[in-house]
Parts: sequence; C-alpha cells; structure tokens
Amino acid sequence: MSPVLRKFIGLLLIFATVGVVSCQALVTASCSSNAPVIHALPLR
Amino acid sequence: MGRFLLLISAFLIPFSLLAFLFKRAFQNMAERFQQVPQQFPSLKGFLLFLLPLPVMSAAVIALARGHVVELLGNAAGYGLFLSGALLLRRGLLREADYDRRRVARAPYPLKTLGSVLIALATGITASFGVHHHPLIAVAFGLLALLGCYLSYGFDPLTAKRFTDAEGLDATDRVVEALAQAERGITAIEQATREIGNAELNQRLRRIAKLARAILTLLEEDPRDLRRARKFLNVYLDGATQVVAGYAKTHGRVSKPELDDNFRRVLITIEEVFTEQQQKLLESDVNDLDVQIEVLMTQLKREGVA
Repeated sequence: MSPVLRKFIGLLLIFATVGVVSCQALVTASCSSNAPVIHALPLR
Repeated sequence: MGRFLLLISAFLIPFSLLAFLFKRAFQNMAERFQQVPQQFPSLKGFLLFLLPLPVMSAAVIALARGHVVELLGNAAGYGLFLSGALLLRRGLLREADYDRRRVARAPYPLKTLGSVLIALATGITASFGVHHHPLIAVAFGLLALLGCYLSYGFDPLTAKRFTDAEGLDATDRVVEALAQAERGITAIEQATREIGNAELNQRLRRIAKLARAILTLLEEDPRDLRRARKFLNVYLDGATQVVAGYAKTHGRVSKPELDDNFRRVLITIEEVFTEQQQKLLESDVNDLDVQIEVLMTQLKREGVA
C-alpha cells in the first residue's frame, strides 16, 4: 500500500470514528429530554 | 438517526478529500521555501484538536440539562481526546526531529500513547456520551486506533547510532554535546529579548545563526565533532556566559565602556564562528577531494579511466 493511500485511509477512519462520535455526542446531548429535576418541580 | 449519519458522511468525505488535497498543495509550496527553516509553525496533528470540539459542547449541554452520565462521559472523553492530541502532536514533532538528525536516540513512544488515548476517548464518548452498545463502542475505539496508526504511524523504536574512529559507540556523547550546544544557542537568542540595543541584538542574531549553521554541519557529519570540540567547549560556552552576563548587568549599570567592550567581544565571536564554519566546510571539501582521488586511482588501476 502506498504511503499516500495509507494516510488517506487513516484520515477517513479518523473522520468516520472521532468525527462521527463527536457529532453524535452533540446531537444526543441536544436532542435528549430535559433534566428530571425540572420535570419534578411542583405545578401551580 | 440514519439520515443524520448519511448527512454527516456526505459532508465528511468531501471535506476529508479537500483537506487531503490542501495538505498536498501546502507540502508542495513548503518544498519551494525549504531554504527558510521553521518559517511556518507545523500543523501536524491539528486535526485531532478540531474534530472532538463537539464533545466539549455536548458536555456543556449535558451539564445544562442535568444529565450526569452524559456529562461525565463527554467530559472524560474530551479530556482524553485533548491529552491524546497533545501527545500525538508532540510525538510527531519529536519524530520530525529524529528524522532530521543523523545521530539520535529513539524518541519516547508519545505517538503510540497519544493514539491509544484517542482510541480510549472515542470508546468512552461512544459508550457514555452516545449510549452505544459496549461492543459498538469498542469497535469505534479500535477503528480510531487503526486510523491513527495508518495516518500517523507509531514511533520509531531504534536509535540512530554513531561509532567513533576507535569503533566505540559514541551516540550518547554526540547527542549530549549537540543538545548542550543547542541550549547555549537558545540562551543567546533569549538574551536578545532582554537587551534593548538594536545594533547589538542584530549582532547576537547573526552569531546565533552562525552557531546554528555550525551545529547543522555537525549534525550532518558527527565525525566533525572532534574538530569542533574547541568551538563547543570554549567559544560557544564563553559566548553564552558573556551574553547572559551582559543581559543581566546592562539594565542596572549604564556604562558606555561596557557597551563598547561587549561590542568588541561580539565582533570577535562572530569572526571566530565564521572561521570555524569555514574550517568545517573546508574539511568536508578535503574529504570529498580524497574520496575523488581514491576513486580515480581505483578506476585507473582497473583500466577504465
């Protein structure tokens, strides 16, 4: 395998793992429901 | 979620292609300007500082929403990403230094350690930040490790050794002598920041440049170390001490004679360094002359020339 191809595949793998997991973590944190503490507040 | 992943990959693939093409273009540009060393700070390993930035935002959002598991997972993941990227970058810079030198010790395995930390960070973020199945998280971590290995490689394990004329291993001696000389030159360069005289600073910068040129010659051919012993042990050490002393004293005492004496010393140092550089270059030319002569004699004996 040529070094250029090897580096390219490596970069793709880094994007596909680190990049995807980072974005997924952001989406999971943004789209999940609010904290239970707020739901537990007594309604007036 | 599937559509989102498709969107992400549709964005990432052209982006990685563009990044790759830009890197090649910059490398080609850099090759044209190789005569100006260290003109631009190296961008090696910066990608791994940028990619995990969303994890930091995720940790902040998890904190705001009161999700403890996500907060801890993302915070630990980002900390590990950052530490891994720092180690990897330092390892890459050390490796570049190792590649440049003819005699060098094997560097600490910082790149390998950084890659392992990045793999761990990917797994932890996938497991606690995204709530993937543990097996999927392990797969993410292993693929990240493979990506780091393919892209950056692991650390060189063998030292570049040098044996002197008596056949003894002189690697440590050479490395130590060069490192000490490098420290001396750095001290001279630092002193220029403390001295407020533009003319003297210019002289000091010229001296540091000359000393670096001599050091490069010594790195290229460590056999010259014996010839340059006086330069390393007497002139460079002396110059460093005098410059550091002047930088410390001139602010407190304003004597024109002191400045004149210092200027005279700098002129002498500059002359001595230039002479030393010429001597080393001449010895290289002499070595080449001898090699050419030996080859010519051999060719004549074989009846070729």
